[in-house]
Amino acid sequence: MSQETAVSAEPAAAAYAGRLAPGATASLTGASASQSQLRRNLKRFLVGNKLNLIGLIIVVVFFLLAVFGQALAPYDPYAQDITGSKLLGPDITHPMGTYELGRDLLSRVMTGTRISLQVAAVVLSFAVVFGTLVGSVAGYFGGIVDEILMRFTDMFLAFPALILAIAIAASLGRELHWTMVALATVFWPWYARLVRGQILSIRERDYVTAAESIGMSGPRLLARHILPNAVSVIIIQLTLDVGYAILATSSLSFIGLGAQPPSPEWGTMMSTARNYFREAWWYTTFPGLALTLTVFAFNVLGDGLQDALDPRSGRR
Amino acid sequence: MLVRLIVRRLIFLIFVLFGLSLITFGLSHIIPGDPARLMAGPRAGKSAVEKIREQYGLNDPLPAQYVTYVRNLVRGDFGTSFTTRRPVSDDLKRYLPATIELGAIAFVMSTLIGIPLGILSSVRRDKLPDHVARFISISGLALPVFWLAIMAQFVFFGRLGWLPDGARIPIGTDPPPTVTGMYTIDSLVAGDWELFRLSLVHLIMPATVLAYGSLAVVTRMVRGGMLEVLNQDYIRTARAKGIAPRTVIFGHAVKNAMLPTVTSLGLQIGLLLSGAFLVEIVFSWPGIGRYAVEAIQRLDYNATMATTLVIALIFVLMNLVVDILYLFLDPRIAY
Repeated sequence: MSQETAVSAEPAAAAYAGRLAPGATASLTGASASQSQLRRNLKRFLVGNKLNLIGLIIVVVFFLLAVFGQALAPYDPYAQDITGSKLLGPDITHPMGTYELGRDLLSRVMTGTRISLQVAAVVLSFAVVFGTLVGSVAGYFGGIVDEILMRFTDMFLAFPALILAIAIAASLGRELHWTMVALATVFWPWYARLVRGQILSIRERDYVTAAESIGMSGPRLLARHILPNAVSVIIIQLTLDVGYAILATSSLSFIGLGAQPPSPEWGTMMSTARNYFREAWWYTTFPGLALTLTVFAFNVLGDGLQDALDPRSGRR
Repeated sequence: MLVRLIVRRLIFLIFVLFGLSLITFGLSHIIPGDPARLMAGPRAGKSAVEKIREQYGLNDPLPAQYVTYVRNLVRGDFGTSFTTRRPVSDDLKRYLPATIELGAIAFVMSTLIGIPLGILSSVRRDKLPDHVARFISISGLALPVFWLAIMAQFVFFGRLGWLPDGARIPIGTDPPPTVTGMYTIDSLVAGDWELFRLSLVHLIMPATVLAYGSLAVVTRMVRGGMLEVLNQDYIRTARAKGIAPRTVIFGHAVKNAMLPTVTSLGLQIGLLLSGAFLVEIVFSWPGIGRYAVEAIQRLDYNATMATTLVIALIFVLMNLVVDILYLFLDPRIAY
C-alpha cells in the first residue's frame, strides 16, 4: 500500500497514473464527503481556482459547439470549392483558412466537435456501465469470483491502452464504430478496478455494517448504500477520461483507423493535412489546437474536481 | 521472493499473450470479411483468392486455424507480410532497432530533464521553475503527440531549416555496417564520426517530441513525490538540526521521493511505445511503429498482429524489470 499512497502525492499525478498504471487508483478511496463539506469544496473549486474556471468554460463551449456547431458554422463543412478557395490562408471570410478541397476549415473544426463528443459519450457510457458491473460483482462477492474477474480485467490492463485499441480496431475494420468498440474495450477495465476498490473500502464502513445488521443485503445494499458513495470517484475518472477518449479517437483516426475522410473528425483532418504542412500551416494547426484545448480543459476540470470532491488528496 | 515474482509474472504473461492472440484472431475471423480476399489484394481474380484460401488453410474449421496460428507464433513464425513480401519476423528484426534507438534516447532525455526539473520545481514551489514544470506537465498530457510532431517539423524544418524533416540518415547515405542496427552505435563502432553526427541530428526532433509526454509524467511524479516527502517530520527534524538545505534535499528527500517515479517507469514505457506509432509515421522513421501503421493502412493483417504482439511482449517484460528494480529500491514491498 505504501507506494500507492506515495503516488497520490499530487492529485493530477495520481489520476494520470490511474489511467495507465494499475494499482494507483486505490489511493482514491475514502472520498465520501459530507454534504456541507461538498458544497464548500465546490464553491472553492469554481471561485478559488482560476484554472478550474477556464477549464469549465472551455468544456461548456465545447458542449455548445457539439450541439449547435453544425448549425452555427459559417459554411457547409462538406461543401467543396476547388476552383476558387483552395488552401487559402486565414482571413476574414475564412478565419482558419481553407484546405485542399476548398472547404472552410473553421466550419469543419466546429462540426468535428460533435463527432468527438459522441464517440467519447458512447465509449465511456459503455465503459462505465460494464466496468461498474464487473467491479461491483467482483468487489461484493469477493473470493473466487473476484479473483477470476480481476485477473480477466488485468489482462486488458497489461498492454499500453492505445496499442491494444489499435490491435482491436485493426482487426475489426477501419470504421468509426469499430474504433468505438476498440476504445470501449480498453477503457472499461479502469472502471472495474476503480469500482471494486471503492466497494472493498466502502463496505467496511459503519453505516454499511448498520444496514447489514438491519437485514439489508445483496443488490439492494449495493445499489442503495455502496455504489452511491463511489459515484464521486467515478465522476472524477470520467471527466479525465473524456479528454483521453477524444485524444485516443483522434490518434486512431490519424493513423487511418476510425473516422475516414471526408469526415471532419480532428485526427482525420490532421492526417490529410500532414501532406500540406509546408504550404498550409493553418491546416494542421487549428484542428490540433482544438483537440489540445479540449483535452487540456477536461484534464484541468478532472484534476479540479478531484481536489473538490476528494478531500484526502487536497493540496496542502 | 524474486524468483516467485518472476515466475508468477511470466505465467501471467503467457495468459496475456494467449488472450491477445485469441482476441485479435477471433475478431478478425468472426466479423464479416474475407482474409483471403484481403491477402490477395483488390485486383486478384477468383482463382487467386481460392489458392490463397487453400495455401493458408482458411478452409479449415476456426479452432484448427487458431491452433495453426498459435503453433506458428510459438516458433517465431508470424507469417508473410503481404506488402513487403518478406517474413514478418525478418521485417521486425529490420525495424525494431530503429524504434529501440528512438525510444531509448527519448527515455534518457525525459529522465535527465524531468528529474532535476521536478526537484527544482518542488524546492522553488510557486516560483518560475515550478511554473515551467507545471506548464510542461499539463501540456504534456494534453498535446497530441502527432500534432506536436507535425508542428515541430513545420517550425524546425519548414521555417527555420535547422533540422532534417525525418528519416534516420540523409537519403543516399549508406547506413553503417549492421552490428546492433542502431545507427548511432553502429557508426561509432565503424569509427565514422560524420555518420554518427548525422544520425544524432536526425534523432533530435523525433526523440524530443516523443520524450515530451513522458517528460510530463516524470516531472509530475518527481514533483509530487518531493512535495510529499518535504512535508514529513524527518525533513523538518533534519532542517531543525541545522543540516545544510542542499544535504537535506539531495541526501534525505530525493531518495525517498524517487519511489513513485520508479513506479511510473512502466507507464513511461507504455507512453513511449504507443507514441512511437504516431511519431514514427510523421518523421518517416523506419521503426516498427511506422511498419505497423503502414500494415494497418494496407490491411496487411499478419504484420499488424505480429507488431502489436511484439510490442505487448516488450511492454510486459519491461514492466517486469521495473518491478524487480522496485523490489531492490524498496525492501518493504512484498509481491
